[in-house]
Amino acid sequence: MHQPHVVGAGMTRFAAHDRPLAELFGEAAVSALDDASLGTDAIEAFYLGNAMGGQIENASHLAPQLASHIGLAGIPCQRFEDACATSSNAFKHAVQAVESGRHDAVLVGGVERCTPETGLDTAEMTTQFATAMHELYEQPVGLSFPGVFGLLTDRHMHEYGTTEEQLAEVAVKNHFHGSLNPDAQHGREITVEEVLDSPVVASPFRLYDCCPFSDGASAVVVANESVAETARDQGADEPIAVQGVGHATDVVPIADKVDPGATQAARDAAEQAYDAAGIGPGDVDVVELHDCFTGAEILATEALGFFEAGEGGPAAAEGRTRLGGELPVNPSGGLKAKGHPIGATGTAQIVELVTQLRGAAGERQVEDAQVGLAHNLGGDTATTLVSVLEAGA
Amino acid sequence: MTDRDPQPDGGHPAGATDPTYAEWRQHLWEDQVLLGQRCHDCGHATAAPKAACAQCGSRSIERIDLPPEGEVYARTRIEIAPAEFDGPYTVALVDLGEARVLARLTGEREIGESVTLTDVYEGDLGPAPVFG
Ligand SMILES: [Zn+2]
Repeated sequence: MHQPHVVGAGMTRFAAHDRPLAELFGEAAVSALDDASLGTDAIEAFYLGNAMGGQIENASHLAPQLASHIGLAGIPCQRFEDACATSSNAFKHAVQAVESGRHDAVLVGGVERCTPETGLDTAEMTTQFATAMHELYEQPVGLSFPGVFGLLTDRHMHEYGTTEEQLAEVAVKNHFHGSLNPDAQHGREITVEEVLDSPVVASPFRLYDCCPFSDGASAVVVANESVAETARDQGADEPIAVQGVGHATDVVPIADKVDPGATQAARDAAEQAYDAAGIGPGDVDVVELHDCFTGAEILATEALGFFEAGEGGPAAAEGRTRLGGELPVNPSGGLKAKGHPIGATGTAQIVELVTQLRGAAGERQVEDAQVGLAHNLGGDTATTLVSVLEAGA
Repeated sequence: MTDRDPQPDGGHPAGATDPTYAEWRQHLWEDQVLLGQRCHDCGHATAAPKAACAQCGSRSIERIDLPPEGEVYARTRIEIAPAEFDGPYTVALVDLGEARVLARLTGEREIGESVTLTDVYEGDLGPAPVFG
């Protein structure tokens, strides 16, 4: 067994980009390779996350297309699709390939375009996203993705007394963090009043409870200990160890989940990742989690074991998850403020953790961050991946 | 008839649901009846028929009629709808006792309130149950 490390990381700014997928991904991939001080000759396989290029942009067979664009043609290339958890699943396979000794170094990343730059407006993109739901039991009802998490959050408010103000506090925090991240789509701070005054998208969520439509790309290089040493010798920054990746699924459709608000796949994936890393929730210093909607962040902080059931809302309102608090959550701004280009989101979480664990996050640096956790969820919470990274290991 | 259609004796090909997607739609549309399934091995019931039990994987499952009454489990008012729909409208998870179903909800309803299957929404993507 080898010890996988992330030896290089890169991403585009998340924003509305009038640029083709190849150019966006090329920017992230080249910066990841340069960050690793490695040439393309060191890369033995390429795993790509792209969820909807086939349906949004008439673009398929993207892995070899994008590999050719950046000088990687010839090696095994593969595209992954698992809704919003797409590139975390690609990352898992890269980690396993390195761990098992199958490959010494793998380039893994994701790219997606979801803004009106694609030619699709809000209603049309809402339809594209809804294709991740069950065609018989969910799509005909007219459920949207804000609606999926609206249902889960409505139930959480009923069971635990979580309030709209507490939801708004999550948005305010993540916009503050985003204001410190030059790669974030939303760099403007907002107030609780602005959130509560914004129009409803799907109750209880208002516009500012929802992540934006985004375009962007992210990439990392995963390598074994000997390539990590070579990269270090050639001038790369500190390699960051991948100590565990958990991956679990739950039943589709949402009506069939035993306790929908528990997000059981997140609990199962977290348990796997904690066990593999030999740690517990109390050992984590910094978290990047899937805050597609403010309520999703509250559910996730409870599912990952950071707070008791019903304590996620009060914890956010008390600043416990803010930079400077006991457990900073989404210092990048999260999906909420950094942005959410579906297939690029998972590896972008890894990019942020690597930056934090190297102590290179500037104004948004989490003090003494040694252990980082990423939580990336797909579809109606049916897919979740949890990854644990550690500095100095 | 293709080999993917239900067999003439009423049996279904391996990997199909009983009821089939077409039968589930037809019963809802024409008879306003929600079809479900119950597992012979673990007793799990569902309002979303599949080829095997979602809890234990058994293929020994029977078709059942679900009750037309239930309680609101969770709600969301959809203001920004997918392109095929005209918002706003309310979507809810309705607890039917043994199983939950995703449905349209009419009127202002609280979680825990009793509701009845009153109508079927006939959209471009197929029928959906309406509770009120
Ligand atoms: Zn069963």
